[in-house]
Amino acid sequence: MKNKYIFILSLTFLSSLLLSLFSEGLKEKTLFNKELDKKKNLLQTIGIDTKVMNSEEIIKSFKDNIIEVTLDTDGNVYSNINHNQFEVIEDNTTGELTYYVNGIEYLPAFSSTTMNAFILPISGKGLWSSLYGYFAIDNKNYSTVKGITFYQHGETPGLGAEITKDWFKSSFIGKEIYSDNNIKSILVSKAGQADENNSYEVNGISGATITSRGVEVLLKRDLLRYENYFRNNK
Amino acid sequence: MNKKIFIDPLIDNNPISRQVLGICSALAVTVKLEQALVMTLALTFVVTMSNVIISMLRNYIPSSIRIIVQLTVISTLVTLIDKALAAYMYDLSKSLSVFIALIVTNCIVMGRADGFAMQNNIKDSFLDGLGNGLGYGMMLILVAFFRELFGFGTVFDYRIFPETFNNGLMILAPGAFIILGLIIWVQRSITSFVEE
Repeated sequence: MKNKYIFILSLTFLSSLLLSLFSEGLKEKTLFNKELDKKKNLLQTIGIDTKVMNSEEIIKSFKDNIIEVTLDTDGNVYSNINHNQFEVIEDNTTGELTYYVNGIEYLPAFSSTTMNAFILPISGKGLWSSLYGYFAIDNKNYSTVKGITFYQHGETPGLGAEITKDWFKSSFIGKEIYSDNNIKSILVSKAGQADENNSYEVNGISGATITSRGVEVLLKRDLLRYENYFRNNK
Repeated sequence: MNKKIFIDPLIDNNPISRQVLGICSALAVTVKLEQALVMTLALTFVVTMSNVIISMLRNYIPSSIRIIVQLTVISTLVTLIDKALAAYMYDLSKSLSVFIALIVTNCIVMGRADGFAMQNNIKDSFLDGLGNGLGYGMMLILVAFFRELFGFGTVFDYRIFPETFNNGLMILAPGAFIILGLIIWVQRSITSFVEE
């Protein structure tokens, strides 16, 4: 009778010890992979092909092509604030990320002079999970879409997870987020029903209406947060 | 005798096509060969190791808590695999992570631990685990081969059919059901096995 408890206690103790040692030992490598994956996705949004690059090449290409920018909500640039100083708060119902330094809200962004792009992080809810990604637009007119990527999500493979596929991502390229001087963002229509000639409309994913709709909602919300900056720099 | 323990689950008593276990993951991760291969390796590792560990402990495990003990061992192994993948094969781990975690609930693993390793010695349990893992994997790879070939027109991402060749039916769930059903049908008509 007593043996039972001693047995299960020692077993769970041993396995948790093993797991924590293992996890701690691989932590640095896992974090490095996560950061590298974000860099890879950032480079993809501005149209750089990372498929054939190894990790050093990705880090080098990132250094050569992309710089961090910090804005406040009025669109002013703060060169003395780094992204790693941010305290990030996630809204659990909308998936919206907000960034604070000493209680003041800032907006993180990236700029690429080599590829003429302005990149902002995007996030929001899909069907099962939060979607995190990047959205790049032209840095002259702040309207023409350069690219979109999602580096983290928990959507169904084959359905919602299609947001990471080339056909979906490339349908955004060349679209305009401004129409009639207002941020219209990009409408994600039902699958196959988008008007191809429309400059602000793309096809959604068949069988994943909620994920598609989620992308539309998060894009518009996150783009509007940067509107002041776009207006000041257009 | 030993040889039979290893060979049997490969074909005659295959966990997927004969016992129809582990179907859920077999349908989910067979879109591409690369995923199927990693899943095969992960499951083979888990089922073999859990069989060995359970067999080592079999005379000490109090029978009233044996399922909990088996689950603890299995989920520890699965978490180890998941962490290792995230550290060394990040891209694959991103697409497989949810399925890797579900190895815990794969009935093949629990079934072998409780049904075989609890009664048999370490060597036999090792062979049984290896056989069942590979038997499962063989089916996975077979299904994935057809789905990738007819769905994307590639084999291990190597292009066989032209780029325009693309078949959504094979990529989505129905493709897996159809291919797996055909395989089971073919195998059963050859062995003339009938479910009692």
